[in-house]
Amino acid sequence: MGVTAYILVKSNTSEADRVKDEIEALDGVTDANIVAGDVDFIAKVAVETPGAVKDIVASGIQTISGVETTQTYIAME
Amino acid sequence: MRFIIIGAGRVGLRTARVLRQEGHEVTLVERDAEKADRARGLTFEVVDGDGSRESVLQDAGVADADAVGALTGDLNANFAACLIAKHHGCRTVMRIDEDYREEIYQQYADEVDEIVYPERLGAIGAKNALLGGSIQAIADVAQSLQIVLITITDGSPMKGYTLSEVALPSDSRILAFGKANDPLGIPLPDDSLEAGDRVAVLAEFSELTEVRQLLVGDESAAAAVAGGE
Repeated sequence: MGVTAYILVKSNTSEADRVKDEIEALDGVTDANIVAGDVDFIAKVAVETPGAVKDIVASGIQTISGVETTQTYIAME
Repeated sequence: MRFIIIGAGRVGLRTARVLRQEGHEVTLVERDAEKADRARGLTFEVVDGDGSRESVLQDAGVADADAVGALTGDLNANFAACLIAKHHGCRTVMRIDEDYREEIYQQYADEVDEIVYPERLGAIGAKNALLGGSIQAIADVAQSLQIVLITITDGSPMKGYTLSEVALPSDSRILAFGKANDPLGIPLPDDSLEAGDRVAVLAEFSELTEVRQLLVGDESAAAAVAGGE
């Protein structure tokens, strides 16, 4: 059984479309939305292992230009 | 008009004060008891509670309000309040906390009619004070477009010329002109520029330095371009 996680992303750029496209282009990301509030995007990932979640965040989302911080929440059910 | 202001902090309370001075009806919504009491002490009508909850906004009269200003420091609360207010047919104004979000909300948040970033307005005031005298920023109209009010001095290169002779850079326009002691009016080509006259100019940030050099001279050329960022 796989792992589902939600990643909250705060950026520091007004190029929301570009950041969203780059997040969505990452393998394992099934969905990403621009959201109102104190984070700017929420991405949903569906992968095989918790380690794969870490890879998407560390070597994927956090390397996108304009991404400032991320918070990861792993679904429990 | 009838307004609801959410957040009785620095921004909300001042906004409420200005609206009341101009004869409008204002109800504040504040969840912090101390701040609510302080606003009541200033004889404002205050509804205690969380402005991002519909029942609280209903108590504040959202059904009859013309516009709602969500001016707390909490972005989530502000956006939720705008959603509710828009649903009730109000014009909505939302305060944001970081400037990069201005464009994002303008583009995606249909429920928010207008965005306010108080630090930007504060910066315009501080900049005017620093620049002093002959050039004053009036408004940032867009990301790269600003209206400035320039006072002609004895050192202005264009002093003695008429408006039709002023060759502004291509992305700049003269919007209004006023003789030293008269109010601003529509600029006419034959208006002549004398010391003390004022010219309102709409210009791209990139051209402000050139506009300044043309109308003010080198007096303040060392100062940073007004509003450039």
